[in-house]
Amino acid sequence: MDINKKNFLSFIKINCNKKYFKPIFTGLVLLLVTCILLISDSISFLTEPTLYRPDFSKTPQVEYYDLNDYKGDKEGWRANDRVVFCVPLRDAAVHLPRFFNLLSKMSYPHNQIDLTFLVSDSKDNTLGVLKDELNNLQQNKDKSKRFGSIEIYEKDFGQVIGQSFSDRHGFAAQGPRRKLMARARNWLGSVALKPYHSWVYWRDVDVEILPDTILEDLIHHDKDVIVPNVWRPLPDWLGNIQPYDLNSWKESDGGLQLADSLNEDAVIVEGYPEYATWRPHLAYMRDPSGDPEVEVELDGIGGVSIMAKAKVFRAGSHYPAFSFKKHAETEAFGKLSRTMGFSVVGLPNYVVWHIYEPSSDDLKHMEWMAEEEERINEENKIKEFYERTWEVGFEDMRASWEKDFHNILKNVDHTKLQDNNKLKFSVDWDDTDADYQEPVPQDTNANGNDGSFEDYKQDMDEIIAEQEKKKQDLLN
Amino acid sequence: MARVNPKNVLIKIVLPIFTLFLLLSVFISRSNIESVNNGQSVTKHRWAHEDESSFYFPFSKKFSMPKYIYKKKTKNWLFFQNKQEDLIPQSHIAHYDLNTLQSSSDAAVNKEQVLILTPMQTFHIEYWNNILQLSYPRELIELGFIIPRNKNGDKTLKALEAEIKKTQTDKKESRFKKITILRQESEEDSFNALDEKDRHSLAVQKERRSKMALSRNQLLFSTIGPYTSWVLWLDSDIIETPTSLLQDMTFHNKPIIAANVYQRYYNEESKKDDIRPYDFNNWAESPVGLELASKMADDEIIVEGYAELATYRPLMAHFYEPNGSPSSTMNLDGVGGGCTLVKAEVHRDGAMFPTFPFYHLIETEGFAKMAKRLGYEVMGLPNYLVYHYNE
Repeated sequence: MDINKKNFLSFIKINCNKKYFKPIFTGLVLLLVTCILLISDSISFLTEPTLYRPDFSKTPQVEYYDLNDYKGDKEGWRANDRVVFCVPLRDAAVHLPRFFNLLSKMSYPHNQIDLTFLVSDSKDNTLGVLKDELNNLQQNKDKSKRFGSIEIYEKDFGQVIGQSFSDRHGFAAQGPRRKLMARARNWLGSVALKPYHSWVYWRDVDVEILPDTILEDLIHHDKDVIVPNVWRPLPDWLGNIQPYDLNSWKESDGGLQLADSLNEDAVIVEGYPEYATWRPHLAYMRDPSGDPEVEVELDGIGGVSIMAKAKVFRAGSHYPAFSFKKHAETEAFGKLSRTMGFSVVGLPNYVVWHIYEPSSDDLKHMEWMAEEEERINEENKIKEFYERTWEVGFEDMRASWEKDFHNILKNVDHTKLQDNNKLKFSVDWDDTDADYQEPVPQDTNANGNDGSFEDYKQDMDEIIAEQEKKKQDLLN
Repeated sequence: MARVNPKNVLIKIVLPIFTLFLLLSVFISRSNIESVNNGQSVTKHRWAHEDESSFYFPFSKKFSMPKYIYKKKTKNWLFFQNKQEDLIPQSHIAHYDLNTLQSSSDAAVNKEQVLILTPMQTFHIEYWNNILQLSYPRELIELGFIIPRNKNGDKTLKALEAEIKKTQTDKKESRFKKITILRQESEEDSFNALDEKDRHSLAVQKERRSKMALSRNQLLFSTIGPYTSWVLWLDSDIIETPTSLLQDMTFHNKPIIAANVYQRYYNEESKKDDIRPYDFNNWAESPVGLELASKMADDEIIVEGYAELATYRPLMAHFYEPNGSPSSTMNLDGVGGGCTLVKAEVHRDGAMFPTFPFYHLIETEGFAKMAKRLGYEVMGLPNYLVYHYNE
């Protein structure tokens, strides 16, 4: 044995010493690695169930899609996943420039995004502005910054409710309004979704600011339906910031009880005192210094920014335009998706900022503030004018008055001195010749006195000093 | 004095020290609680936005989102198989006015497009020939098929492909406007995973109908386009219809209208060819049906044609009168998917095929209920017959 072992070792040693060993060895290793890669690749290739794929490339007007290719990768931007970007618009011309600014800055590969818009019941020039913005966008010199296909749909639903903030957010208006908006969303979603889409992203046009990586940030969670938290900035007199979207919530016992007590067509809407559901809202779960990756399971969701796998909509989930479990539109979409077995998730610490639109109370307050400001401005102007006329019209005698004042009052308060019997008034009643002589006219210029304040002051100072002296003498 | 009792040492020295240590440890742990916020008390806690001097941040700077890599993924290391090349951005911007879209009783004259949708488990050549003999202009017809992801589906697909190629490479006038074929996402979704006998047993109905509903929805929401005015749901085993099927059914101008599905068979008793009712999903609601539903658990469904669930609903299949007018209509509450024409707006409004118990109804029957919830009426044509394939 020992000899054998020795021989073996020495054999290795000999081999090691050979100068060919190194290149041969590395060669072998490389060969092995390639072999392993080849085999593993071909195994994965072969074990995949081989499905028949028809070839319709030469047949006109026929398309074949394997839905398995479009189920949505959690790194969709790397896997050529196409995202369909759905935007419902109504009287949104003012918001469009901001929206397109955010859109053009997105980091998701633009040519993998298809844009779809639904313009409905618009009285302003939404369509015109939209087309201009889109033309601008698609004429970008950098071709990689251009978007995929773009579709604009027009459909009017006839609208009963006004579009101002308070019209839209009043309690009575909610049910019919939500059902109408749900119809609009469904009309858009059903035509926008093509078989080759993997993700559907719904976005309201009135978002103030959000991260450029919004699509990646939502997609990489790999959930069926996912929404960020939505807050809005406020003017300082209202407290700076506020949770905006209260439609993202988790169901509560109170909510279920309330739902049971309502009739079939009723629609519960969150954030109104009439319907106290005691549901935990995603908006209030925010910790400004918390981890943005935290996920919370939700039952109802808001529509400001929804990322969903296309298969959710393909499976039939949509924005119910009827009362589904006492909800409609996006909130019901959350409930419906949950019912159909999809995951519905919210990100409490990841925030998208909605624009601030003042309510009619806010508008009243703002009007008052504007009036107040104007009033103060007017007042200040008048004050300034008065001050100027004062300066021009009146000489400032305040400094001399200080002295005069002293002198004038000097002899007024007799009481103190009389009480102490220290001072006796004596009046000289005798007439002298001097009294009847004309006073010698004084040449004011002789002693350089030109009647100016300085001279006057000098004179006065002398007089005052004299009088002070006399007074002191008397007191002593 | 010289001898120290170890017990005394324990009691007099070790025990007090230990107690002191315990007390201290309690206080120390208390003070630890207060120093959670970086040693600051809660009252001195600063909000993130105060530190970051802006409200406009999606999350705190303390955390960062993952760095994304944008290099394209390939499915395989050696066999580069990108599933799809980048579509080159189109410079044109498509604009569709859905307000001008209409569905009227004069569909063919008004050039209204019809989308015929068929979830196809097996391909019957008779089905295809029946489609070909429809007299509605083909440039107004789009077809959509969804095929299960299994071996059986492969067979169906091959047969369908051959026929489609024949038609679509023919002269231009005889081509359909567009044909879309979808393959289901996964094998579990396959709607024909059961053999013919199981297919109609009550226990498996719910699951089967749920998968059927899923495939219908997948088909519908992938193919409905901006020009679609009507959607005709035609099962793959409907092999005989009148040639003017589309004109006849659109003529009624109803949101949802179902034809009566019958089956031809050889009657052993009378020794001659006969017809018998086939599809029992077209029905009007009955008080018994409603009462049954009210007593059910939320996840249970009612299906027609089972003795266990006697609903006493009036079934359209039984309202056929051989001498009656084919255009007579009746109100329905549930429909089947055999041959049902739907205005596209009903689907666009959101009416889909529930894959879950919706008012204890599922698939096409649930669809009828959902359409009713959206305010549409559901009608049937008891005397207008189409024929089902006879296994």
